[in-house]
Amino acid sequence: MAGSLSDDAAAGLLADLGRPVVGRLVALVPVLFGITLLVFLLNAIALGDPARAAMGQRADPEALERLRHEYALDRPLPVQYARWIARLMRGDLGRSFREQRPVLDVLAERAPATIRLALAATVISIVLGMGIGALAAARPGSALDHTLMAVAVLGISTPVFWLGMMLSLVFAVTLDWLPVSGYGEGNWAHLVLPALTLGALHTGTVARMMRSSLLEVIRQDYISAARAKGLSEMSVLGKHALRNALIPVVTVIGIGLADLLVGAPLTETVFAWPGLGRLLVAAVGQRDLPVVMGAVLVFALVYVLGNLLVDLAYLAIDPRLRDGRAS
Amino acid sequence: MCLLVVAMVVAMASLSLAQTPEVTGKAGGTLRAVFSSDPPTLDPAHATDLTSSAVIRQVFDALLELDEQLRIVPALARSSTVSPDQRVYTFQLRGGVRFHNGRELKAADVKYSFERAAKGKRPWVFEKISGAHAFISGSVGDIAGIRLVDDLTVELRLDQPFAPFLFLIAYDAASIVPREEVDKQGTGFASHPVGTGAFRFVSWRRDDQVVLERFPEHFRGPALLDRVVFRIIPAEITRYNEYVTGQLDVTDIPTGRCRAVQADSRLKGEAAVWPTLGTHGLRFNVERPPFGDARVRRAVAHAVDPSIIVQRLLEGCVLPAKGVIPPSLPGFSPDVKRLPLDRERARKLLADAGFPGGRGLPPIAFNFNTSDLNQRIAEVLQAQLKEIGIQLELRRLDWAAHIKLVDEGSAGFFRQGWIADYPDPENFLTVLFHSRNAGAAGNTSRYRNPKLDRLFDEADAMPSGPARYKRYAEAEQIVLNDAVWISLYHYTSRALIKPYVKGFERSAQSSAPEFLAPLRKVWLDR
Repeated sequence: MAGSLSDDAAAGLLADLGRPVVGRLVALVPVLFGITLLVFLLNAIALGDPARAAMGQRADPEALERLRHEYALDRPLPVQYARWIARLMRGDLGRSFREQRPVLDVLAERAPATIRLALAATVISIVLGMGIGALAAARPGSALDHTLMAVAVLGISTPVFWLGMMLSLVFAVTLDWLPVSGYGEGNWAHLVLPALTLGALHTGTVARMMRSSLLEVIRQDYISAARAKGLSEMSVLGKHALRNALIPVVTVIGIGLADLLVGAPLTETVFAWPGLGRLLVAAVGQRDLPVVMGAVLVFALVYVLGNLLVDLAYLAIDPRLRDGRAS
Repeated sequence: MCLLVVAMVVAMASLSLAQTPEVTGKAGGTLRAVFSSDPPTLDPAHATDLTSSAVIRQVFDALLELDEQLRIVPALARSSTVSPDQRVYTFQLRGGVRFHNGRELKAADVKYSFERAAKGKRPWVFEKISGAHAFISGSVGDIAGIRLVDDLTVELRLDQPFAPFLFLIAYDAASIVPREEVDKQGTGFASHPVGTGAFRFVSWRRDDQVVLERFPEHFRGPALLDRVVFRIIPAEITRYNEYVTGQLDVTDIPTGRCRAVQADSRLKGEAAVWPTLGTHGLRFNVERPPFGDARVRRAVAHAVDPSIIVQRLLEGCVLPAKGVIPPSLPGFSPDVKRLPLDRERARKLLADAGFPGGRGLPPIAFNFNTSDLNQRIAEVLQAQLKEIGIQLELRRLDWAAHIKLVDEGSAGFFRQGWIADYPDPENFLTVLFHSRNAGAAGNTSRYRNPKLDRLFDEADAMPSGPARYKRYAEAEQIVLNDAVWISLYHYTSRALIKPYVKGFERSAQSSAPEFLAPLRKVWLDR
């Protein structure tokens, strides 16, 4: 009996989750279409010629024309865009002007490094951010609270490039604990400093949100009731307050994906990390439009899907939302 | 036929090629070098940048190469002769040279490689060969001026004499590639190159590292290093930190730290600064007002004081420039002089041009490509020109946008650096100032001077020597007097090299961090 009830609940949850997932995925199509159109138009407006950028100091006019033809840059802009969309429908992102290879290969080669970095940075920001926030909330107004919040503000306001260089100077150059830069052979030692740098910005935001959200929940009657029942402060915070304080924190974590995407190119540059951020910067510089379009598409997908995951997380965290939707 | 060829070769003036000294040292080890960006390609036909060239020069060989003194020395060609009319070059290839795939090099590979590269990104390297233009434009199927005399002899015929021709043959665009590998791999050849070079390709993790290993069957004998790893590190401070922590054996000195590094006791003897083949200059587009008036250009030239830039911004680690041609380039003339700093004269010239005290002259846009150094130089220029009443508006754009404005002639006053592809004044002066190169081909000033064209045409065809260099010097002085170009300084290579790295060439062509030095000569003494 209990088993069938559980199955029903699971089916209900799946149905609850299914609707927003499908809705969001459908809504994704025009968003992505709009993004690609915008990037294409911006590139068209921006000064610069991919063929010329590929030719170095000395450009032979005939070779330039040949290259423009090869890159199909001699076609009208709407035709270029339509061809790109048509290829995209077939799962083909075109060929990189600079590397003369399929864009999918170019992106696939760099994606694992960025995924690894972004996941590590996210884990750091969640664990550190929630820990700092919870500690500060446990002793509001104390010296510890002030110190931790000062650290959080520092994390938010410190430029990624500067923080990366400082961490590298201290932990790699001076103390010689960690490598200065590079991907190594994929070992964790190479990941620590870039992940800390990228995660720092977001750690501060999560910590501040965690603190204020926890403090708000702590003032609720049911927390006072829990305390009145004689539960330990640890139990009150961990079991009762934390779960309810999580919703705004999860929102911030979702929004934080944007921070990761913004911070990735700089972090990857400081630490010579071979990821998508550096690829995108180089591609913009070279006006390698197929790679720019492909990379932006991936970033947009990550951002939109990340927000979708946040919505799903709401449902998982707060049963009231599921009930509300079911009724 | 054979007798005829022998007779011709005997009749030809023999070109003396300097011999490369034997390389000795301790074998083994890995050299850890670095690039500032990922090479776009490793295919010599499609490379246009120093990073790509730095790898290509290790993996491939050309018929000839340049030694540390920039002299032409034999490489795949055992010898080279030129006909008395300087139009027919005959190259005798070494026998038994093998590609990395084991196949023996033949003369047909030279023809294939040249024709393939002629349709690549540097067609100008081959355009002097008879029939190259028709081939490049697609109207004929091969370059008529390339003739295979036998399996190991190639003859190249030019439409007209061209003194620096052998430099073109020694250039990395003229590297020899095996046809079967290109056919097999298609565009993949650019990321899995196969040549005859002292090092063969092992791996390339994009934006991370390129790995090469010794090719034991190299025609000169195996290189001393086991491996070469080129790390790709975009931030110069990161490269420096990697060097300091012992993770790199060679790197560049970060901008603004030249003196500090030289004074650092921990790095004593590791810092090296040497002149290279480049000049940083300012250019005018003479087709855009007010720069069609030579008086305005001269006024600017008289008002600019490059010593501030050389001494303060670049810490004296570059060479002050008097002319366009750098001192390390053969043909440099110490007699050529830039217009001297003379602000009174500048004000008078500006007044003569109808702009007394700068009145009536709208603010002038100065275009430069994004870099901290370029920004600081632009600010110095802005302050210096203000002294004669010229208001400078700084327009900072990324490279692609900057070069487009310059190429299409939209920029009136702009920054331009030039690094010689090969050590000959033709590659500086003819390329940058001949009227046939007006626009993207090099003469971005769009300057047309029949006297200059005549001097270039004569000098380009003359055999190397004082008479030829005299013509270039005369042309260079005309350019400077007419203030088409204002030289600020000549480039240097600023490098850090670990003391145990031996045999590292510091030629004027080798510039940190993308050294073009032949690494087969390098060994590690540790």
